[in-house]
Amino acid sequence: MKPGRFTALVVAGMAVSGCGGIQNALGGQAVQSRDFVSLFAVFMVVCTVMYFVTVGTLMWAVFRRRRATEACTVETGRHEVSAPGSRTALVVWTTLIAVGLSALAVASFFTDRSLAAAARSPKLAITVTANQWWWDVQYTPDNPSHIIRTANELHLPVGVPAEITLKSNDVIHSFWIPNLAGKQDVIPGRVTDAQILPRQIGQYRGQCAEFCGTEHANMALDVTVESMADFKKWAAAQLQPAIAPTTPLAAAGFNYVTTRQCSVCHNITGTPANGQLGPDLTHLASRKTIAAGTLPLTRGNLYGWVADPQSQKPGSQMPTMQIAPQDLHAIVAYLETLK
Amino acid sequence: MRRVIGAVIAVGVVLIIAGLFWLNHPRSHNSVAAVPTSPNAAKIVPAAGASPPDDGNWTMPGKDYASTRFSALNQITPANVGKLQVALTFSTGTTEGFEAPPLVVNNTMYVVTPWPNYVYALDLTKPGAAAKWVYKPNPAAAAKGEACCGPVNRGAFYDNGRLFVNLLDGNTVAVDANSGKEIWRTQVADIQKGETITMAPLVAAGKVLVGNSGGEMGVRGRLTALDEGSGKIAWIAYTNGPDKDVLIGQNFHAFYPKDQGHDLGVSSWPPDYWKIGGGSVWGWISYDPQTKTIYYGTSNPGPWNAPQRPGDNKWTASVFARDIDTGQAKWAYQTTPHDLFDHDDINEIILADLPYHGGRVPVMLRPDRNGFFYVQDRRTGQVLSANPYGYVNAYKGVDLKSGQIIPNHALDPKENRVTRGICPASPGAKDWNPSAFSPVTGLVYIPHINLCMDMAVQNANYVAGTPFVGADVKMYAGPGGNRGVLTAWDPINGRKAWEIKEDLPLWSPALATAGGLVFYGTMDGWFKAVDAKTGKLLWQFKTGSGIIGQPISYRGPDGRQYIAVPSGVGGWAGAVVAAQLDPKDPTAALGFANAVKDLPTKTSPGGMVYVFALPQ
Amino acid sequence: MSLPFRNSGSAAAAVALLALLGACDRESRNTRGQPLGETVPTGASPDTIYPGNSQPPPLTAQAAAYENNAYAISQGQQLFTQMNCVGCHSHGGGGMGPPLMDAKWRYGGRIDQIAASIAEGRPNGMPAWRSKLTSEQIWQLAAYVRSLSGQVPKDAVSARADTLSNTPPQTQQTPEPVLPAGSAQQ
Repeated sequence: MKPGRFTALVVAGMAVSGCGGIQNALGGQAVQSRDFVSLFAVFMVVCTVMYFVTVGTLMWAVFRRRRATEACTVETGRHEVSAPGSRTALVVWTTLIAVGLSALAVASFFTDRSLAAAARSPKLAITVTANQWWWDVQYTPDNPSHIIRTANELHLPVGVPAEITLKSNDVIHSFWIPNLAGKQDVIPGRVTDAQILPRQIGQYRGQCAEFCGTEHANMALDVTVESMADFKKWAAAQLQPAIAPTTPLAAAGFNYVTTRQCSVCHNITGTPANGQLGPDLTHLASRKTIAAGTLPLTRGNLYGWVADPQSQKPGSQMPTMQIAPQDLHAIVAYLETLK
Repeated sequence: MRRVIGAVIAVGVVLIIAGLFWLNHPRSHNSVAAVPTSPNAAKIVPAAGASPPDDGNWTMPGKDYASTRFSALNQITPANVGKLQVALTFSTGTTEGFEAPPLVVNNTMYVVTPWPNYVYALDLTKPGAAAKWVYKPNPAAAAKGEACCGPVNRGAFYDNGRLFVNLLDGNTVAVDANSGKEIWRTQVADIQKGETITMAPLVAAGKVLVGNSGGEMGVRGRLTALDEGSGKIAWIAYTNGPDKDVLIGQNFHAFYPKDQGHDLGVSSWPPDYWKIGGGSVWGWISYDPQTKTIYYGTSNPGPWNAPQRPGDNKWTASVFARDIDTGQAKWAYQTTPHDLFDHDDINEIILADLPYHGGRVPVMLRPDRNGFFYVQDRRTGQVLSANPYGYVNAYKGVDLKSGQIIPNHALDPKENRVTRGICPASPGAKDWNPSAFSPVTGLVYIPHINLCMDMAVQNANYVAGTPFVGADVKMYAGPGGNRGVLTAWDPINGRKAWEIKEDLPLWSPALATAGGLVFYGTMDGWFKAVDAKTGKLLWQFKTGSGIIGQPISYRGPDGRQYIAVPSGVGGWAGAVVAAQLDPKDPTAALGFANAVKDLPTKTSPGGMVYVFALPQ
Repeated sequence: MSLPFRNSGSAAAAVALLALLGACDRESRNTRGQPLGETVPTGASPDTIYPGNSQPPPLTAQAAAYENNAYAISQGQQLFTQMNCVGCHSHGGGGMGPPLMDAKWRYGGRIDQIAASIAEGRPNGMPAWRSKLTSEQIWQLAAYVRSLSGQVPKDAVSARADTLSNTPPQTQQTPEPVLPAGSAQQ
């Protein structure tokens, strides 16, 4: 059976068993994760074969009938040196182990070379800063005025190698998009990086993989791999400043958001709200989830989140504020316009 | 055969050693102007028209539009200055940092205090200089919480029977010099956004030029021109933003390619960061009446955490030449792109004419915060020379061909890490306190500092009306251990003629006189007179409080020469005394408290004007 | 009467365990504030004259709870940098604003006085944060400010700062006296 087909079989097996979907470490939708899955398959094959050989031989050794010479060994206390059978066994075992380990080593080497090749000459530069408990994502081209700032989401054009620079503002986190690449720790005071070369269009989910505090489980990332045309459209829309409010309720919400508590932490480009502590809200309504993947973006969830974030993510940095009902209507009305 | 080999080896060793010596010889990145042949042509003189003959008055902080701070009075000389004694004292009743020079016009001395910005008019013809009037403008006290470096005021400006004063809370007032009545008051800056005004206005050609402060508060820096008669705003030149806000138009020609382009004040910032990017205009402006051009520099970009604002961050830490009537920029030069260390460009700009390569060039001389003494052609902005006048390791030099400063990337601050041993520290090799230029000696007398720092940067949050900094700094003395220096600098040859080391940082401006003296004050209150040619200390007097204010010289009603100096420690350097800070925290006062933690034992707050004269 | 223990040693151990359990509320995390919303006192000051023999108000139980709570102090430490208190007050040494680590207090050094100063602002430049921060956040900041001058027990302060500053750790700080309001003028 060809190696590719075998890999696919392994993966299919895994999928059937429940590892499928948008947060699947065996997904292989990018060069990095595909290389990993291939290597994983090689390891599985070698180790499975060795496992069955070892266990099978052990079972045979346990259940076979004793020969006369062996009875002699037990009763007289002397044993024959170098029975022909044991020398063969030695040779066979050594060969099996040597072949197996060599296969693993060779496979690892080629996987490493493939990963290095994929990481060469990245075309897209992204900086992801991990905070407790959300991801600050900035697309950083050479021209600083074209920096796109968003939160808890990543858009990647398919087939384009991306270099993601990772920083942390507080504690150690770990950046992990299982379908696309392996984990990379994000350490405060250091700069690490991850490379991703996506190969398949789709929607995936990333997750913080290093315990970072009480809301570590609610620190997810929406990853969208799309065509280059779609990516360019998305990037162009993200570069626009926030849409101005058109209805009176949205205008009241704009007023509240830019003069009361919200502007202390949040940035909305093009408005007086320039807080740098929390997620950028300029295009909040264009995202799929809020609160770092905790809640899908719906009107109800927006109401609930703004009114009482501590009920969804107790301990998160966004406090539960005493917002009057009419102000809450206005805020949500405004936030929904931030496409 | 062996001898040949031996000889070859010996020659090779000699060549290698010679090569190593050659490599180690510091090759300057800067060209030094050629020394011309004719002795008269060797003189450097103030810009014609910007430095009229001395009438014995002192009507503006810089003495003249060329900012020479030079008095042509010569009664007090090195021979007799030893006999100088106190002639007059005046207590202002305030105890904050006292930076403003007294102005003397028509036998009246005008004293401007730090917040609450009182203006006293002292009648010098009366015994004891009794006050003619006192003007109390009542600026908002809340402004004190928005002023980064003490609620100081750097001086008033007298023109045509009126005094023009900037108040800390962002208003500019015109006061009648005879009666003390307020003529107009215009709000130029908004304290709710973190803006204050501490600078001395420049009045010329019917305009009052006022710049806002707040480079540490995330303000949008700008220079505003008010109409002298009515106080109405005539034009506003922003520092950052699109060309139409920065008043860069058809007549703008930047000399270097790095400063050429369209809307650089937007494209060199992350989106929206230019609106909160600082670039305030809190320092000195000079004016050339012959070309009707004003010259000034802009402050550091905000926040201090540079990784948060990638890009060149134009036009912070830059120098502008603008037409005074319209505000349109003629040229601009960004001295320190993507500033990492709070190296503002607001220092004084002395306008002079300089011999250069056989001819004469109209230049601007400026000892910059970043440690280099710039000599630039003021018609175009071309840098003719830029030599370090203090110890600098944050930059490797200035490349004269491209105009670029060459950073030392080993000292780049990185988020959540500490970078140590950065020289000069954030107040630079010299902060706001201006130097004086003597056409007699041809030297620029620079009172400055020798401090290095450790710096840690982290993500800064922007909340309007609060600081936008993102940095912890700790400062300490630089190499040599002396925290202050008075350097006499030769601008033609680009090197120092002599220097005086001081224990404490020098935060007071200098005064040069035709009598051959240089006056300056120390932070523990010593007012000193040194020989302008040699730097020898000839006279000193211990005033009641540290001196951070400008000394002046004027002709009194009796025709004699007087020297006046404000005494009252404070400002950024003196905050540990004036604001009673706690030096247990070395990051207090943005790191300055650690550098002068011995200051409380050496001086205390005060607010007094001292006037000295020779005995009758 | 016989105790249900084999010997006095295990009895003593049981008693000690019970006593230790009582110390477990050092870091109780109340992340939503009181159900009906907290309020920061509006300027109650024990340092003023109370004419007619009336008494200065005592510290409320809520204020006392915040004062020695490790979670509140550490949240206050984070907010102190995030809300730019550091920009004016540095790490207690002062700058544009007065020092917070010394004995002198312009507007009072009791935790409710500090919370009132933060919420209402003060003349001479302290901004008013009432509409920008929740009451709980203001109490947390006030608890942290108290810790800057060493007023809180050593087991409640954090051993080091979040940011790389140059100040000594608070666990090694000697407590300052708290002088009455207005002492900064002396």
